[in-house]
Amino acid sequence: MSDKPARAIKLNVINEPKENYKGGPSSLCPGCGHDQISNVIINAAWENGIEPHRIAKMSGIGCSSKTPAYYLGQSHGFNTVHGRMPSVTTGAYAINKDLLYLGVSGDGDSASIGIGQLIHAIRRNMDMVYIVENNGVYGLTKGQYSATADIGSKKKKGKANETQPIDLCALAINLGCTFVARSFSGSKKQLTSLIKAAMSHKGFALIDVISPCVTFNNNDESMRSYQYVKENEVTLHMADYIPHFEPVAEIEVPEGHFTDITLHDGSTIRLETISDSHDPSDSMAALTALHQAEVDKKHVTGLLYFDSSKPSLAEDLGLVSTPLLDVDASDLRPSEEMLKQMNSEFLGQ
Amino acid sequence: MDTIVNDFTINIATANGTGSQSANLILLQSLFDMGVPVSGKNLFPSNISGLPTWYIVRLSDKGYQAPGDRTHVQVLVNKATWAEDLASLEPGSVVIWNTDSKMPMDRTDVFSYPVPMTKLARSLSPKLAKLVTNIVYVGVLAELLGITDEALHKAVAGQFKGKASAIELNITALELGRNHARENFTKGDPYLVEERPIEQDRFFFEGNEAVALGCIFGGVQLLAWYPITPSSSLAEGIIGWIPRLRTNDEGEATCAVIQAEDELAAAGMVLGAGWAGGRGMTATSGPGISLMQEFIGLAYFAEIPSVFWDVNRVGPSTGLPTRTQQSDLAMLYEGSHGDTQHIVIMPGTVEECFEFGWRAFDISERFQTPVFGLSDLDLGMNRWACEGFTYPDTPMDRGKTIREQDVFEAMENFGRYRDLDGDGIPYRTLPGSGMAPILYRGTGHNPDGVYSEKPDDYFNLMTRLKDKINGARDVLPAPILREEVEGDIGVVYFGSMENTIQEIDDMLEATGIKVSQCRVRSLPIHSEVEAFIRRHKTTIVLEINRDGQLWGILRRELPNDIVGQVHSVAYSDGMPPRARIYADLILETIKEANQ
Repeated sequence: MSDKPARAIKLNVINEPKENYKGGPSSLCPGCGHDQISNVIINAAWENGIEPHRIAKMSGIGCSSKTPAYYLGQSHGFNTVHGRMPSVTTGAYAINKDLLYLGVSGDGDSASIGIGQLIHAIRRNMDMVYIVENNGVYGLTKGQYSATADIGSKKKKGKANETQPIDLCALAINLGCTFVARSFSGSKKQLTSLIKAAMSHKGFALIDVISPCVTFNNNDESMRSYQYVKENEVTLHMADYIPHFEPVAEIEVPEGHFTDITLHDGSTIRLETISDSHDPSDSMAALTALHQAEVDKKHVTGLLYFDSSKPSLAEDLGLVSTPLLDVDASDLRPSEEMLKQMNSEFLGQ
Repeated sequence: MDTIVNDFTINIATANGTGSQSANLILLQSLFDMGVPVSGKNLFPSNISGLPTWYIVRLSDKGYQAPGDRTHVQVLVNKATWAEDLASLEPGSVVIWNTDSKMPMDRTDVFSYPVPMTKLARSLSPKLAKLVTNIVYVGVLAELLGITDEALHKAVAGQFKGKASAIELNITALELGRNHARENFTKGDPYLVEERPIEQDRFFFEGNEAVALGCIFGGVQLLAWYPITPSSSLAEGIIGWIPRLRTNDEGEATCAVIQAEDELAAAGMVLGAGWAGGRGMTATSGPGISLMQEFIGLAYFAEIPSVFWDVNRVGPSTGLPTRTQQSDLAMLYEGSHGDTQHIVIMPGTVEECFEFGWRAFDISERFQTPVFGLSDLDLGMNRWACEGFTYPDTPMDRGKTIREQDVFEAMENFGRYRDLDGDGIPYRTLPGSGMAPILYRGTGHNPDGVYSEKPDDYFNLMTRLKDKINGARDVLPAPILREEVEGDIGVVYFGSMENTIQEIDDMLEATGIKVSQCRVRSLPIHSEVEAFIRRHKTTIVLEINRDGQLWGILRRELPNDIVGQVHSVAYSDGMPPRARIYADLILETIKEANQ
């Protein structure tokens, strides 16, 4: 026996150790931005005190979509088909609306093959967190440009991209998405706050995370390399997440200007102004910021747009309050008397 | 002249979008209420307004429900098909024609009844003349053929439930038509309708609506769909029943409905529902199934309960969207890439449409695999006589789904894809339960659901899946057999061909050939089908398609020693099956087989 006292294992608000939020070992390339995001997801879920088995991990196909194996090992997950994760999530949600649906996708998944499903999930304000691990290239098929590759950016092999990229955040804002953020896998603090806030949001929360591909798109001429993003990130604000179980009053009030946004579960995201103030309820300002960044060849990050006024899919479906999964068989199958009565009605009796 | 009673076909040629459908249904319903065995077929275009539509009403004391070989009574309203419709009539036919069409009526070898339909309709309501024209010809038909006012009025009341002004307008229009015929015509033709005693209470019902009601009684929890002819009325049927049958006093439903952005998304939602532990379904047609292929493979491989209804229309490609065919069978049976095999259930009557509607969910959850209901436009969108629906005789079968912690803990060696019972069907836990969570995937996996490329894991998985579906064979709806003692020739068929088989059988018998019948109701093939084939020297597989898809499946799956005695009769021109065509093809095939 060691003389040293056993170090107390740190527990979260529901007395779970962080260990219970981890997954299997990653098989991605060492240094991949996606692994950093996986770690942030683990931290966010643990610190938010979410029961791990009440999370459903959803993904499509691609490097990003493999990552659900690397976090939240106590959650069921579904690695579906390429670009179609939103529809599977929507179906699962209709049956069990009480789970937290955490979708992870990539730029191939979300901006190409699955862009239609992403758009319609946003349109329905489907209640889920949707993280895009966006690196501008297809990794698993060895480095083709994706639809988010920036104009003028050059990956490790081949010529520079000259095709207009799709900005998923701008797209989402135009579609009326109720939570739109951009972040960088290297900005751990900001990303953690944004993911936590997304988990507290009711409705569709899109977080487009620039996540450099160390193998195919991390060279000097790339606009999605670590170095480039680090040097060209324009941060809209400092983002701090204050969970509902910690009284806001006890949090140190920042010196400068800040805005508090109350989220669905009573948590708060505090946005501290850095230079110019950004109002996340102003979709025009958000679009302007995105456009300006594109012109300047910069990456703007932060909570771009937020709207808590729209009903989510749950209200639209008009279902009983119990998740359909737990509804009694007797409420699913009408009675024999009812069928008898209907037969009579059909006969005109 | 001898009269011809309850044994003729009426063809009504109109343009779509003119409201002829409600008039035609009144005609059909009134005949039905007089006890006359009658069937109606709507041949409509893929169009909203202005293209040719024919409504075919077959009266047959023998109960034949196919459209028949020829038209006996023609109603001509549509200018566009006037010449063609007129030219195709046999001498001695009846022609009731709209003189206001200003089209030539140049046949002298038919019984001609000119009616100023538009003028009569205008006299009643200038605004609604187009609509009223249709009910005027029903009035003329009623007078000429002998349809009672009692039956007509009942049918009108049923068609326009509670709408007093519509009922009044229609009854007045019927009178106009009837009076015109009474005052201007002397009946010269032989065609008459006679009342028949009603031995068994029956009502008219569409196949799609019956499937819809069946799904409601099957406890459907998610309908995800994308509109497509001819399946939309199935989905809309479910939507229509939810307020009454699946909604509580607070107005909250126990069935979710999502109109998806496309068929891919509809299929994805169905899988999501099945994965989460619910009963999800979609309704579509061939083109939709084509789009769903990727998800169908995922459902098979990841073993996700999911129900797909395919109301078959004419393919390939967009094909003839408003015509009927049995051409999706092969695609359903082996849907998606790689080695797959799916359960398909094929109703042939509206009663079965209801039964298979609820049963599909039980089968899908029992075998943790996609289940396809295969109907077609003819069965789905036409009205058929129905004796009433039978309540499910078994409680909902939720399959090997573990919901209780203690049950789970008592299990030994649990693995999501481990065959613990030797029937190929593994146990499953659900998302949110915390019990044995895994990451479901469409990639290769071992019995614990963990990614694996190991040869043994892949081989064993594929073998188990094959065994699992094989195990369903004799649990699925068994074939319906009608056997002759002679036992020389058997006819195997499926689905809506049920409504033509008796007429075909009588035609064959008239030539001295007695055949036994075997209606296949499920895939994979039930063992009784093989036994039936063995009991007959020659078996004909009768299908409404070009290639003989069921025949192809049988040829591949039957033991070699009997393959040679199975012959194909497959024919499709988009029309509902006409008995004569199939009877002649069967006779030809029997002749060839015996050579």
